[in-house]
Amino acid sequence: MKEQRGVCFFAYNNDQLDYVELAIIAAKYVKKHLKLPVCLITNEGSESWLNESKPKELINESFDYIVITDDKMKQNKRRHYDSPWTSFTAQFNNSNKHKIYEYSPFDQTLLLDIDYIVKTDTLLKYFDSEHPVCMFDNALTVRNELPAERERALYDAGIKMWWSTVVYFDRSDFSKLFFDTWDHIADNYEFYQYLYNFPSKLFRTDYCVSIAVHMLGGMQDTQTHIGNFDNSSLVNLSQKDDIIETHGLDEWILIAHDQKEEWQNILVNLGKQDIHVMNKRALARVVPELLEYFNEGA
Amino acid sequence: MDERLEKALEFSNYALTINNQKRNIRNRVAQLQIVHHLGGVFIANHETIAFIKTLIDLKHKSSVVIDSKNNPITVKSLKDLLEKLVDAYTSATTEFDIENEKLKKARNIKKIMDW
Repeated sequence: MKEQRGVCFFAYNNDQLDYVELAIIAAKYVKKHLKLPVCLITNEGSESWLNESKPKELINESFDYIVITDDKMKQNKRRHYDSPWTSFTAQFNNSNKHKIYEYSPFDQTLLLDIDYIVKTDTLLKYFDSEHPVCMFDNALTVRNELPAERERALYDAGIKMWWSTVVYFDRSDFSKLFFDTWDHIADNYEFYQYLYNFPSKLFRTDYCVSIAVHMLGGMQDTQTHIGNFDNSSLVNLSQKDDIIETHGLDEWILIAHDQKEEWQNILVNLGKQDIHVMNKRALARVVPELLEYFNEGA
Repeated sequence: MDERLEKALEFSNYALTINNQKRNIRNRVAQLQIVHHLGGVFIANHETIAFIKTLIDLKHKSSVVIDSKNNPITVKSLKDLLEKLVDAYTSATTEFDIENEKLKKARNIKKIMDW
């Protein structure tokens, strides 16, 4: 029998980023604020690096389940930034994300990206929501500005963008239909790229879910089965922003760049708000101090 | 740089930072004001609380209430919903007050950051 409620993370390391290490941090925040079991979905290579690089006790504290997959990933090179001035390219393994319906050991699952840091218990209420699937359909930067045009709609006159960073789902027929549709879109990505006119060669699951929502909503903007976390916004620390300092687990001092004049920064203290830390190198830099705070029980 | 311009830019940066922090607090408060009840989504604000209290004062124990998404929700116990709304309102406004007081006293960016 499946456990009732829990949180899942996908983490596949590449030659630039230690995703499983970031998953440990994200999992520990989930345990602190949501108090739910956590499942890590990874591959053999990443798991063996996890076992080699981290103490067994820490792994056991962080993850209640580890699911090993051997899906063949699409070639998917992604350009990452670490501030406006540094960039690097790495393989982004995300083409099996829709398989979460199959991999999750839970009846009700919250799928989070490993760079989504939960600092409140807000997401808990959606386990009692009437919607079988929930995702964010709008986002804000930490400067409270809208994200770039291309992260609001798939193209200038295109459909609304939904984010696959946080996906809540249950085991209803509709949820199955949603993930099957996502699977179909992923399989026929080039066709949908032509049809929906979205840019870039990068395989983005955000585009897949946006199209799935559009299709399942009768090709209209309004739909009833998919919740949007009560219109709240996904708060993005962009890849060009940074974490300057941490004061305990929940108080982080951030530096946020101006989208038009990238050298113009302001400081931000988000406090108790869930945050999507898109600059993964910035998150990786504060891992040691965050682990220390967790050890101290801060 | 002209000292007057330097000071003006410094204040401009302070104003930008403090306004952003105020918006962050308002976003957090708005989240805390969301109440899920029997499949409905209610906002714990003056209007909802006053309306539910009015129904109770008029001796209604249950009622169909339109939620914030314009769906009809059969609320079996108006009293339970009112309690939830008042709890959410109180915790949201308490947090708002604490954070707002901190910001009011912050006269420079370092203080705004609680650094």
